[in-house]
Amino acid sequence: MSTEPASPVLRIEGLVKRYGAHVVIDGVDLDVVPGQVVVIVGPSGTGKSTLLRCVNGLEDIQGGRITFEDQPVLARSRTVHAIRRRIGMIFQSFNLYPHLTALENVMLAPVKVLGESAKEVEERARGLFRKVRLEHRAHAFPSQLSGGEQQRVAIARALAMNPHLLMFDEPTSALDPETVGDVLTVMEELALEGRTMLVVTHEIGFARHVGDRMIFMDGGKIVEDSPPEEMIANPRNLRTQQFLGSILHH
Amino acid sequence: MSPTVGAFWYVFLTGAAVTLWISWLALLLGGLVGVIVGMMRISKWVALRWLAVAYTEVFRSIPPLVLFFGCFYGLSYALQLDLSPFAAATVALTATASALMSEVVRAGIESVTHGQWQAAYSSGMRYDQVFRYVVWPQAIRVMLPPSIGVYISTLKDSSLASIIGYVELTKSGLLIRETTGISFEVLLIIAVMYFVINYSISLVGASLERKFKYVH
Repeated sequence: MSTEPASPVLRIEGLVKRYGAHVVIDGVDLDVVPGQVVVIVGPSGTGKSTLLRCVNGLEDIQGGRITFEDQPVLARSRTVHAIRRRIGMIFQSFNLYPHLTALENVMLAPVKVLGESAKEVEERARGLFRKVRLEHRAHAFPSQLSGGEQQRVAIARALAMNPHLLMFDEPTSALDPETVGDVLTVMEELALEGRTMLVVTHEIGFARHVGDRMIFMDGGKIVEDSPPEEMIANPRNLRTQQFLGSILHH
Repeated sequence: MSPTVGAFWYVFLTGAAVTLWISWLALLLGGLVGVIVGMMRISKWVALRWLAVAYTEVFRSIPPLVLFFGCFYGLSYALQLDLSPFAAATVALTATASALMSEVVRAGIESVTHGQWQAAYSSGMRYDQVFRYVVWPQAIRVMLPPSIGVYISTLKDSSLASIIGYVELTKSGLLIRETTGISFEVLLIIAVMYFVINYSISLVGASLERKFKYVH
């Protein structure tokens, strides 16, 4: 809960993303300061996931500016690889590498991208498997793991790069209800460690308990940005009210 | 087997060895060219993609027999390029095999989901690293079974080299038939030999496939 003004780790100014004539993100401004947990909610198709992909330069942008740790994020530039190493990304569909074991999944990027020694990385990876409570599954292949286990391996894989920002793109949307809790618990622990997190989710409970800020996006714009308790109790905007109403009462 | 034909066992075996050798060579070269053309197919440059499509379509559409004639007589007539039967057969077989392999490579690479690319790029990998550590190891597993098919079909196509005087298994049989005057038995023997070779390749392919499965 950082309230004193810190310089933002991520700054998004006037971001516009279009596919042809179709506008997906329509002028988004967002600052994220270190240690902050920002939860983004909103109906599907409003550019939440696209926003995350723009932040690590997986998508080129048509307007505005994204700055990560004082460096501009430019898709297809030479500098974008170095920026991505400092941003961990967790996907809705896990995207573990199926030809590698869980441990190899976690070790691949630190060894091949950062050039660290396999021995040191393995030690760190073992620690991460304990953190996500999967030390007994390190040598399993992704196909042998449940969805919740795969997602926790994916979190360990992101953490192995010692990222300065973690981005979660609907991390529990593809999970069986009984495994959602395991993943949310790990995410909550990461937040308590003081990690900077940008989370796109429909888990309002998570937003309420863990989030420092809640952002409601609709039609490619940020409609409302306030502390979660406040937004959930008193949504100011009509669309926010309708959206929260629809997902809280079912 | 009659003793007359049996006396030529060494010629049969040599013919089979030559067939194996030239089809291996064609598969190797065809695989190499096929990887290059297949990668061009997914390139971000339109010109490269076009070139790759043209190559694949041309050499996939011309019958191997016509390519054999083209490489042996055609190149000699048009460019005064006199290739030996071996060289002409290798070029013709490679052209067909590479066209087929380029499709196998493209399909293999495209079978790797978009999410895999995204995950790999998100971890800071460059294009070549994504390819080497994430995409290629997965694509190759998809490519293996159809590659075995290409090898078998290349091996069968190599029998056409007999027509330009290259002495592989079929030509060996034809020569023995001329010498002995015995037709049926000779053809039966080469048919059985082709079957044994190709069936063995199938079996090796199937065992490689099992070995390459993600979970053992």
